[in-house]
Amino acid sequence: MSFADKHRTYIRSTRKGRDFGFNVKTMAKLAPLLAFLYEDWWHVDLQGLKHLPKKGPALIVANAGGVLPWAGLMMLHALIHDDQPRRLTILTDLDWIEDERLYSTAREIGLMSWSADNAKRLFAEDETVVVFPEGIQGAVKPFGERYRPRAFDWTILMPAVEAHVPIIPLATIGPEESFPVGMNIDWLAKLLSLPAFPVTAAFPWLPFPANVFSLPVHWKMRLMKPCDYKKPASREEVEEICKTLALFAEGEVQAELNRLLRTRVKPLF
Amino acid sequence: MVDWSDLKTLTVEKAAAELQRRKPEFYNRYEGENDEFGFNLETFAFWEVIFRFMYEDYFKVQFEGIEHLPAEGRGLLVGNHSGLLPLDGAMLTMAGVNINPSPRRIRFLATDWFFQIPGLREWCQQTGQVRATLENAKKLLDMDEIVGIYPEGIRGVGKTFRERYRMHDWHPGFVQLAISTQTPVIPVATVGGDEIFPNFANIKTFAQMLRMPFFPVTATFPWLPFPLPFVPLPVRWMMRVHKPIDLGYPPERANDRRLCSKIAKELQYQIQRDLNEMLRERKTPFTAWELD
Repeated sequence: MSFADKHRTYIRSTRKGRDFGFNVKTMAKLAPLLAFLYEDWWHVDLQGLKHLPKKGPALIVANAGGVLPWAGLMMLHALIHDDQPRRLTILTDLDWIEDERLYSTAREIGLMSWSADNAKRLFAEDETVVVFPEGIQGAVKPFGERYRPRAFDWTILMPAVEAHVPIIPLATIGPEESFPVGMNIDWLAKLLSLPAFPVTAAFPWLPFPANVFSLPVHWKMRLMKPCDYKKPASREEVEEICKTLALFAEGEVQAELNRLLRTRVKPLF
Repeated sequence: MVDWSDLKTLTVEKAAAELQRRKPEFYNRYEGENDEFGFNLETFAFWEVIFRFMYEDYFKVQFEGIEHLPAEGRGLLVGNHSGLLPLDGAMLTMAGVNINPSPRRIRFLATDWFFQIPGLREWCQQTGQVRATLENAKKLLDMDEIVGIYPEGIRGVGKTFRERYRMHDWHPGFVQLAISTQTPVIPVATVGGDEIFPNFANIKTFAQMLRMPFFPVTATFPWLPFPLPFVPLPVRWMMRVHKPIDLGYPPERANDRRLCSKIAKELQYQIQRDLNEMLRERKTPFTAWELD
């Protein structure tokens, strides 16, 4: 069965409103790869999709890890196969991608550069958005610091708080062990104008397809209850709410990570 | 470096005299007091020397924010628990006596298990620990003491080495206590405690058989003869005490469960964030933090 036959409702849902550069054909091409990673390679165990609102916009805040926003890509797959399928936009840093083809592919499956304007436009169109408020430093933190999120950037929540969008924390264990980062070389990153230069067991030693190899760790992802906050009346209030919300969301994610790690029986295979 | 050679000939009388000489303010404050919960100044003085040795020369605790301990009046210390033998409380007490400008004792609420074992019960009572019940806590706060609570409970003490510095969820009972008695809450984060006795596994069956809260397996316990398993690793410690927080809710709200659990969560997240930050700044467990 082709992608078009299997995911009729999904495709219909992506056709509504503005497309923001999304292209369902590219998605259909990449879907088997995502399915392989989700189901066979990482055995992702995702729970809590019921916490996503049935309609209207939503912001998922997740802990970063594993260099690239893999957790977001896994959410893409999960939301295609959900009972109520929908499109997901991953707001992250794309400016470092020089390669034209790679950039357009990224845009076509739903990645977007982070900016307050983009976020506002997406929320206005009732889109579901995922962000990684730790930033790139969180994604390349060394293996010894795994599953200890860096401080969440509260400014990233501002567009969502202004529009009173539900904020849903997402905790993921797995990516940081799938791609164990030894260290991050700052000066080399600067030299190559990359956001970070992580050194892993395979990167940068092996040639291209081999250096993105990941360990088949079993992942667990948990979406949590939306954080409740009151609708802000003024600009000052927005900032205040964002600061407390960022702290709270970070704590929620960290506490859930602790719980997941404690109950995990075996990480590999 | 203090000369600890007198530890070998330490007696209760000598220790008490020494404490009176070193910290007259502390000694006079609690001397001749008839404590309801069995605090005994002489026993305290004896053990103070031993734990002060640990504080100063063994763990070399780096302490931040001693000025946040109130000089007078009540307070509720809450923090992360650690260590199989809960030495984190002892180290806090040492800071409260020795580096505090106005020396005070801290009364910790301890789990029932400690009060079931004949020798240990008396020791706990005489050094100032109290059985953890709501009435006891309220009485202590009415006596204007600083009460220490580890809301993780005994689970936090028995954490395995893999789970180090990953807190269990806090029991919100302490918030209820703080609101109903209008006590300021003082959060405290401790790094170091989770590594002094690396615990590889908890054996539930043995724990149930021996009626212990947990049965740890470490490199030395239960393999080596008596005193050896109780020798901790010389890990460097760091403790950070935050400003006292006045929760600012009227006592009627104490039974609001949602409010209590929300405040407990926020405090828990703050301490966990502190732990993560301190761990990130630390190079190895055996080296000091470079504080500015």
